[in-house]
Amino acid sequence: MIQRLTVAALVLAVVALLRTTPAEAEPYLAVMTGYKCNVCHVNPTGGGLRNEFGVTYAKVLLPENTVDNALDSWTGKITDRLQVGGDLRTDWTRDTQPNSPSQQAFALEQFRVYANLTLIPDRLGIYVDEQIAPNGSQNEEAYVRYGSTSDGFYVKGGQFYLPFGWRLQDQTAFVQEVSGINMTTPDKGVELGWEHSSWSAQFDVTNGVANTSGSGYEITTQAVYTKPIWRVGIAGSSTQSNAGDRRIGGLFAGLRTGPVAWLAQGEVVRDESLPGGVTELAGLVEADWRVLKGHNLKLTAEYEDPDRIVRNNQQTRYSFVYEYTPLPGLQLRAGYRHYFGIPQNNSQNQQLILMELHGYF
Amino acid sequence: MGSIQPQLPTASRACVVFASMLIAACAGNGEGLNANGQPLAPGGGGSLPPLSADFDSIQANIFTPICSVCHVGGSAPEGLRLDAADSFNLLVSVPSTEVPSLLRVKPGDPVNSYIIQKLEGHAAVGAQMPDGCPSTQPCLTASTIAFIAQWITNGAPPSAAAATVHAAVPLAITSIVPDGVEPVSSSPPQIMIAFNHDLDVTQIDSRSMHIEKLNPGASPVVSEIVPARVTVSSANPAALMVWPSVPLLSGHYRLVINLGSSSQFSDIAGQSVSVGTPDERGESVISTFDVEVLP
Repeated sequence: MIQRLTVAALVLAVVALLRTTPAEAEPYLAVMTGYKCNVCHVNPTGGGLRNEFGVTYAKVLLPENTVDNALDSWTGKITDRLQVGGDLRTDWTRDTQPNSPSQQAFALEQFRVYANLTLIPDRLGIYVDEQIAPNGSQNEEAYVRYGSTSDGFYVKGGQFYLPFGWRLQDQTAFVQEVSGINMTTPDKGVELGWEHSSWSAQFDVTNGVANTSGSGYEITTQAVYTKPIWRVGIAGSSTQSNAGDRRIGGLFAGLRTGPVAWLAQGEVVRDESLPGGVTELAGLVEADWRVLKGHNLKLTAEYEDPDRIVRNNQQTRYSFVYEYTPLPGLQLRAGYRHYFGIPQNNSQNQQLILMELHGYF
Repeated sequence: MGSIQPQLPTASRACVVFASMLIAACAGNGEGLNANGQPLAPGGGGSLPPLSADFDSIQANIFTPICSVCHVGGSAPEGLRLDAADSFNLLVSVPSTEVPSLLRVKPGDPVNSYIIQKLEGHAAVGAQMPDGCPSTQPCLTASTIAFIAQWITNGAPPSAAAATVHAAVPLAITSIVPDGVEPVSSSPPQIMIAFNHDLDVTQIDSRSMHIEKLNPGASPVVSEIVPARVTVSSANPAALMVWPSVPLLSGHYRLVINLGSSSQFSDIAGQSVSVGTPDERGESVISTFDVEVLP
């Protein structure tokens, strides 16, 4: 069995050289385990480089099979002070829209590498998240961090992702797109964070992701309370800009019921940069059912109202994704996603079939 | 499922109920909205319609106010006129003059439509459009270009008005480019003859026309005959394209139907119309125009 899987993995690895995907977080794992983000990730707000525990979890507890001699001693650490990691995702998608022929394509979604240099243990470090492909190298995160990310205050300065709700793997989720805060929109500034017992909190002052006026700024804050089987969080963001202010408020929560991890998030956006000012709503409910070790069934329902004062313009989206992690460092995903929107807009009524290969270390 | 549900703990049931509520939330029915999800302007008069992925909206919001500032009349760059009367016929399924292997608009394929490449600034030849952007005027935003791309993805359908021309309206020519009103400043890549109905392409002879260069003088004397090829795109059967076999130098020209070829065109409903006026030899002259190639 292991041999067959190894052969399959090699074949898939070859395919992976042709195409890949991004290195987003999987917050359902946090809900499933009851861990805070910093238990598995170097970044206390989650995503990116996994710490030693995170690497071990991904090698031993996540996959269906463990493999002898497969990165047994690998913890991501090159030296005591330098740790590296990476994610490579490639996919095939088939997109069908009304009144149009279907389009299908292979794509290298993302190849990212991470590095964390510890200058003073548990106090001072430098973190880098670099997207290598596609389209050449692009820095996602690069910051200096001072303080404890496990218990106490810390400060980081540089470029980083803003903390706002669930850091989902799918960056096209309505709640990610409506807020505009996701893992494609890092921002430059400083973050004050606090980790203590069940609490995590952040306060960020940054340029503002879409703020091109040169005179504005964005304040983002988030607080999360985590218990073993549930957690709840609140987040807010305010962007001051000559082009028009933008304010976002969000609530999110997680709950484990047996083998199912539930995630929910709702948010409201008031955007004065749009003509007349627009209020938007977005919501998400996700259920992740760990069918067996290494097997996860993800069901997602989403809702978006792009303008509260306009009637009949709401959109919904439903996803069915099966995630199979046969081996350490290898994950396969296959799924179906159906958008429902106003009938006169084809792209709001598309159907997507996707298959993804995810290699990570 | 029914046998499992009673065993679910309360929290799990609550989650299922909450998820069901979200699943039950329906998408909007789009009533009273355009394709962009914006309310339709009452009466449709006065202000511009909101930008949406249909040709009328794109013409009104982009081609007319922005592009046709330059792309108009005899000096339209690359012979591409983007005024409301001509833009559709000169865009859809018409090869680009800069990169002839690409169509200006390839229905269903925005990526390989030259107009998208020019607007996004990665075309193989020439500058990004609108000309001078971003230094002298703003480039079109990605979201604006997305509306054009979506229109192309939708098959690049014609304007609503063109699509609803009643069959009872007699078949007629609606536009000819070049039109003879003003000289064209470069050799026209094609001569376009647009009709108000889709033509019956089975009645069209691809070698039925030629272009004549005339010597100056009171009575026309043909100094050169330029063979031409006639095509009609399946994506736009209402426009007939005539392609000269060689570039036209400065001079006075006329487009002529070959002697012996029919000067009648028929639409798909069987209506016919005679085009052109007989010349001194009895051939039908469809149009005359001047080319003044700038040095």
